[in-house]
Amino acid sequence: MSASARQVQRMLALVPYLQAQQGIPVDRVAQEFGVAPKVIRKDLMQLMFTGVGEYHGELIDVDLTALEEDGVVHLRDADFMTRPLRVTAREGAALIVALRTLRAAADAEQAAIIDGALAKLEHAVGGSVSAPVDVHVEPLDPQVRDAVSRSLAESRRLRIEYATASRDELTTRDVDPRRTFTQEGRLYLEAWCLRAEDLRFFRLDRMASAEVLDVPVDDHGVDPVDLRDGFFAGGDTGPSAVLDLDPTARWIVEYYGAEVLDDSADVWRVRLHGGDESWLRRLALRNAGSVRVVEPAALRAQVADHARSALRAYDGPVATDEEL
Amino acid sequence: MNLIFLLLSTRQFLSKDQIREAIADYRADGDVAFNRKFERDKEELRELGIPVETGTHSQFGDEPGYRIPRESAELPELDLTPEESAVIGLATQVWEHAGLAGQSSAALLKLKAAGVDVDTSAVRMAEPRLSAEEPAFDAMWEAVTGRSEVQFAYAKAGEPSTTRRVQPWGILSWRGRWYMGGFDLDREAPRLFRLSRVEGEVRTVGARGGYEIPEDVTMQDLARSLFPPEPVGEAVLHVQRDRAVALRRSAVSVTRLDDRTDEVVVRYASPWQVAAEAASYGPDVVVHSPPEARQLTATLLRSALDAATLDPAS
Repeated sequence: MSASARQVQRMLALVPYLQAQQGIPVDRVAQEFGVAPKVIRKDLMQLMFTGVGEYHGELIDVDLTALEEDGVVHLRDADFMTRPLRVTAREGAALIVALRTLRAAADAEQAAIIDGALAKLEHAVGGSVSAPVDVHVEPLDPQVRDAVSRSLAESRRLRIEYATASRDELTTRDVDPRRTFTQEGRLYLEAWCLRAEDLRFFRLDRMASAEVLDVPVDDHGVDPVDLRDGFFAGGDTGPSAVLDLDPTARWIVEYYGAEVLDDSADVWRVRLHGGDESWLRRLALRNAGSVRVVEPAALRAQVADHARSALRAYDGPVATDEEL
Repeated sequence: MNLIFLLLSTRQFLSKDQIREAIADYRADGDVAFNRKFERDKEELRELGIPVETGTHSQFGDEPGYRIPRESAELPELDLTPEESAVIGLATQVWEHAGLAGQSSAALLKLKAAGVDVDTSAVRMAEPRLSAEEPAFDAMWEAVTGRSEVQFAYAKAGEPSTTRRVQPWGILSWRGRWYMGGFDLDREAPRLFRLSRVEGEVRTVGARGGYEIPEDVTMQDLARSLFPPEPVGEAVLHVQRDRAVALRRSAVSVTRLDDRTDEVVVRYASPWQVAAEAASYGPDVVVHSPPEARQLTATLLRSALDAATLDPAS
């Protein structure tokens, strides 16, 4: 949308807003509308040239003395527009899909509130809202989700059993929750981890259990992390491996964002950055037959060791009924 | 702005001449310039989603008149509870896509102007973010919400691209990726497309509202291929104590066998899936049944061993 269209949109909302809030400080208006105070002042100057006609009483009037001396806004002669315009179909679609996204991550009580808001919003939108858009968020253990939202609501410490991403172990940690958010369709908890003594992100679907403790949370004096900086973008750090992929394993390139080193033959050579070595080892074992480790040699040796010792269990006779 | 206010405040239709007479900016122009400006402004109103009604009034003869019907132009009363206002406030922070973030904030401004007090702290809940970095997203969003047929080049991983003509039925966000599901006109069947695999421009080839979306179709059905298949049976695994945490969490039952081993029963959709999962844990997980999964696991481990002990240079 162009800057002038945005300004028209803002001014059309300002007219009913300011009439309902006579005497509101201009700084507060700016804050509510998400722009600088000087933008609102400029809007007000332009509004004074608009109205239903050109004579006194037909043009919108702003009390300039009050604006200059007290920094507050009084708007007169605008009774021809006391209500804002309807939410348009486009705005409605954007907001409805956003609400569905919230709903996908909500507990039962929150979902009921969102359903109420959705129903009222659809009524407020001009024309029919066509938003055939689905947002899928991974399903969660309700016990974990409810404990997490309760600990946030009551500002109490949480004890979680957590399965770390790659190391195949379950750890028990006490954490002070700060907020939850979703990223790539998964729900995360941002919390101060008392074990790591640092801010950490925990995936809710990796929590085996969560229990709200009778301990209030500590502030720990840290600023929230701004996710817009792309916290998850740092995929190029940590160990990496060079792999050969058969045609059936090419999905790995797109799925994990591997870097293609050579695709001139049927077998592609790629570099994959992994969380740690055990993750890379598990990937190679899982896809054995279509994925081969080229380097590092240490990773190749690990894959060989694990495969060799695992095979011992299969070399003997197939398990009999008694053994099961 | 003046045109909006004028048309909003009139109950009767106003003819073009009356409008020209009432607005100084129009009056100053010659006929050609005025007509151009008037058409442009009407178009702008449409883009802002403001309905302009045309009709005639006996006193103009055949000439059309214009007005903005107040009842359909104004935001009705919403009666939102504080919690409902809060979730709408949170919803406006969901989009990380500039265009849609702008659309949802514009909606929020209207609600604030209607006196809705938005205090997002009234509800504490997850803060999801929805981004859309795929270049094809904007065109596909328009096509889906407007029901217009599209044409685009599409390439599956490792394959050359082909031109597809599709009537989009819906779009879906799954694990941070966007998919479009619709009717593929050349293959004469429903298909699912990943937007990141669309190459170049998405061309709209049909009119808005050019087809109907079948009522019995949901995106969940179309996207079935994205979700795990239904389980067909139970597999019995012997798992080292405290190992294979993720497997244990999805288990039907975990029974202690001896000091070091547990029997873990899991549901599975295919023996391949069991074998791949078990092999990934190496010696920590041994498949006991079904026999075909046990055999596949051994085969996988053997090829892993062969590949890893072979000199990669050879």
